[in-house]
Amino acid sequence: LSSVSLGAGAGQDVGRSCILVSIAGKNVMLDCGMHMGYNDDRRFPDFSYITQNGRLTDFLDCVIISHFHLDHCGALPYFSEMVGYDGPIYMTHPTKAICPILLEDYRKITVDKKGETNFFTSQMIKDCMKKVVAVHLHQTVQVDEELEIKAYYAGHVLGAAMFQIKVGCESVVYTGDYNMTPDRHLGAAWIDKCRPDLLISESTYATTIRDSKRCRERDFLKKVHETVERGGKVLIPVFALGRAQELCILLETFWERMNLKAPIYFSTGLTEKANHYYKLFITWTNQKIRKTFVQRNMFEFKHIKAFDRAYADNPGPMVVFATPGMLHAGQSLQIFRKWAGNEKNMVIMPGYCVQGTVGHKILSGQRKLEMEGRQILEVKMQVEYMSFSAHADAKGIMQLIRQAEPRNVLLVHGEAKKMEFLKQKIEQEFHVNCYMPANGETTTIFTNPSIPVDISLGLLKRETAIGLLPDAKKPKLMHGTLIMKDNSFRLVSSEQALKELGLTEHQLRFTCRVHIQDPRKEHETGLRVYNHLKAILKDYSVQHLPDGSITVESILIQATAHSEDQGTKVLLVSWTYQDEELGSYLTSLLKKGLPQSTA
Amino acid sequence: YEALHTFELQAPTRVIEWARGSRICVAGYGPSGGNEILQLLPPPTLQAKETQGLCPERDFKVECGGFSNRPVYSLKHVPDTSLLVTSGPPDSSLQVWQVSAEDSDVIKSVSAISTENGLGQPWAKIAATSARAPWILHGSRLNNVQITEVESKKNVYVAASRSSEELSDVAFLDCSTLLVCCAKGQLCLADTRQPQSPLEATTVPSAPCGLRWCMGVKHGPPGSDSSSQPVARLSSTGHLTLTDLRKVSEPLAWAKCSVSCPSSSAEFLSISWAPALEGCVAVSGFDGTVHVYETRSWDGSGKEAEPLFVHKGHAFGGLDGSEGPPVVTAHTWHPQKPRTLLSAASDGSLHIWDWVESRGSC
Repeated sequence: LSSVSLGAGAGQDVGRSCILVSIAGKNVMLDCGMHMGYNDDRRFPDFSYITQNGRLTDFLDCVIISHFHLDHCGALPYFSEMVGYDGPIYMTHPTKAICPILLEDYRKITVDKKGETNFFTSQMIKDCMKKVVAVHLHQTVQVDEELEIKAYYAGHVLGAAMFQIKVGCESVVYTGDYNMTPDRHLGAAWIDKCRPDLLISESTYATTIRDSKRCRERDFLKKVHETVERGGKVLIPVFALGRAQELCILLETFWERMNLKAPIYFSTGLTEKANHYYKLFITWTNQKIRKTFVQRNMFEFKHIKAFDRAYADNPGPMVVFATPGMLHAGQSLQIFRKWAGNEKNMVIMPGYCVQGTVGHKILSGQRKLEMEGRQILEVKMQVEYMSFSAHADAKGIMQLIRQAEPRNVLLVHGEAKKMEFLKQKIEQEFHVNCYMPANGETTTIFTNPSIPVDISLGLLKRETAIGLLPDAKKPKLMHGTLIMKDNSFRLVSSEQALKELGLTEHQLRFTCRVHIQDPRKEHETGLRVYNHLKAILKDYSVQHLPDGSITVESILIQATAHSEDQGTKVLLVSWTYQDEELGSYLTSLLKKGLPQSTA
Repeated sequence: YEALHTFELQAPTRVIEWARGSRICVAGYGPSGGNEILQLLPPPTLQAKETQGLCPERDFKVECGGFSNRPVYSLKHVPDTSLLVTSGPPDSSLQVWQVSAEDSDVIKSVSAISTENGLGQPWAKIAATSARAPWILHGSRLNNVQITEVESKKNVYVAASRSSEELSDVAFLDCSTLLVCCAKGQLCLADTRQPQSPLEATTVPSAPCGLRWCMGVKHGPPGSDSSSQPVARLSSTGHLTLTDLRKVSEPLAWAKCSVSCPSSSAEFLSISWAPALEGCVAVSGFDGTVHVYETRSWDGSGKEAEPLFVHKGHAFGGLDGSEGPPVVTAHTWHPQKPRTLLSAASDGSLHIWDWVESRGSC
């Protein structure tokens, strides 16, 4: 029995992911995200839900984190250090490297900028990461004697993985966020035909049909081009990895094709960090990037140069990539402040921004920002948002289900009303059950585990000796006794079972009375019966015993006189349970009466 | 292009129909069942006054979906209702569907409208109106043209015609006048207030023009006389003709589209008038392109016309050339934005595009 408990997190809530799975007595927590929309305690999942009094470390066998996005790992330090959990936390190597950076960034914004108290500290982040065990793709990790996990490539972002959790012959696959179409720097998710009992898939974009990448890129280039043509400056705040590379390659090719002269800059901090991570995790990017990286340095572009702080004041058009991605501090914020007042300039936000950051504020439409020292910054530059983040759409979800062949599917991260169609689609196409639980709801999935049974050699030999040779394609019926003792199952012959259990065998015998009209003596009636049966039952052994009784195989027939009626004889037909069939047949045969003429 | 958005549907569609609240409906036409009817909410870019580029919401949302056992060859929305009507092989019956986007996202099949002797007939061509009541005009041949009231399923009009000419299009000109176009090219008008009156047929253009014709009807602003708008007809060899219904004997204009190869199957031929651009038509179905023509400059000579714009996007699809290059299966104009069209092709692609006024591609 595998039961999934959607606690405190995913299910119908698009804000964060945190799923509790109970499988064959093991408890695993999948992701530990925080809700990006709330500013207070609601952003963290409610862990008291999981176990009222027990310690989380005792209750949970492990925690698995799928990737570094804050809505999947943002609550991890809170969970492990403030609520208390000392067991293993599993994630891939890139996730382990990048998580602490994002968590620290997030902590800085929340505590330093917004002055919040009840929040995890830098030390807590460090202590939390010490509990992390990094895993490789397709590596089977033995959590304990019975529980094992395996990571699969998920695309989406660097280091994102889908996890298979297996206990004995029951398994669950959790996808985290994934993507089925490769992009410029990441491949597509892939899983083998592992046939899990349950596939838990995200479905945020299940009802979306995405605009093609080429169109988005085309529009991005158009915007950049227009701004640069009119002499404006374009700021693109990026996080160090992934999308930055893609956009650089895009701009470089475009600049070359259009023969543009405006300078493009890349801040140096970015270069170092990105290079560092790419070197570490080169196997996680797709084939194309790997080739280019091997041939040359990722950041040796013809048109893209290293940035110097002073350049921000240069007149004329330019494009600058700077960190951090949400404009909450550092170089990108500095540049933003310099350029915000000019309407010819543009800032293009390439991803989600956490609430409280300048990035988030300007994307929400705010045009007057309060900076340090009560200074008001008026934002006249154009603000554009462009999302390149990749999630699976309905087609992608169907593809993944086709690859993995689960017996049941559970969708998280979507809205129930809007997923009825997808649920039907999945059920119709794959003939599996599809569940869409709400936040806090527990879903129970029933599995059909295979139970191995040992058959005794004696029984096997006897069965093969009895009859026809076993035919691989035809099932053969056999009789035996199943003994279940101490988690072992054995199939043995009845005799052996009786002997082992110390039981005596009982015999079951049936007797039936058949009345026949016959005025003659018992002895003669018996002879009549004998002759009759001998004539009819030619294939059976019919015997007439000295004491007057008749046997057909092991069935006994005796003729006796009726106590009250001289003209009627009573035939007693007696058989054991094993001869039921023949016994019934004889009885009905005799009930039809005896033929008239006999010797 | 002013704007271009390309999408990929899970299964190709040959219908794009505008439904309530600026939604569009598409449907699969696979022969072996399991076809989906989808109601899609177009990206906000389509609804905005000026086209935006990097708007975060650039995607279609699948609002509702339903399953159809038959391939869907034609789909029409019944105005002012949440009903859709579809038709497709193997006969000329219609299926009625209910879209209830608030409670659930499943499009439910509510009823079927069957026709007498419908079995074995070609699939029905449909038009819908709600001017008097929700009515469906349908038929596959001249002798089975009828108007059925959707709710009661009763016929309010049956055309009296003995001819078994196959139809390619039907349309309501107004609530009492209907127009049908035969596959061979004849146009027939009928007045619903005079049931049992035979349909009058117009002549077919005499020049050898291929096997099959289809028509496009423009609806003027409500209240205007629809029969004053010219009717366009397109043949499988690329000939275009405009006819004024008040003077059916002589065509208003004649031209030939600049298509490289005439379509042999003519299955997806389609011609439609721009609702917000005077005198413009869009033509598709020959290959992977959609042509837009300005008809006011045409005369009766039948010479080749220069398209105002050619959308070639679909021709670059066709991932595995096993089925040959993709063919545009359907196109439709945006009701308000003058130069915006949507087009779909046999490889499952769906494009929204808006071209720049001056000639030349981007």
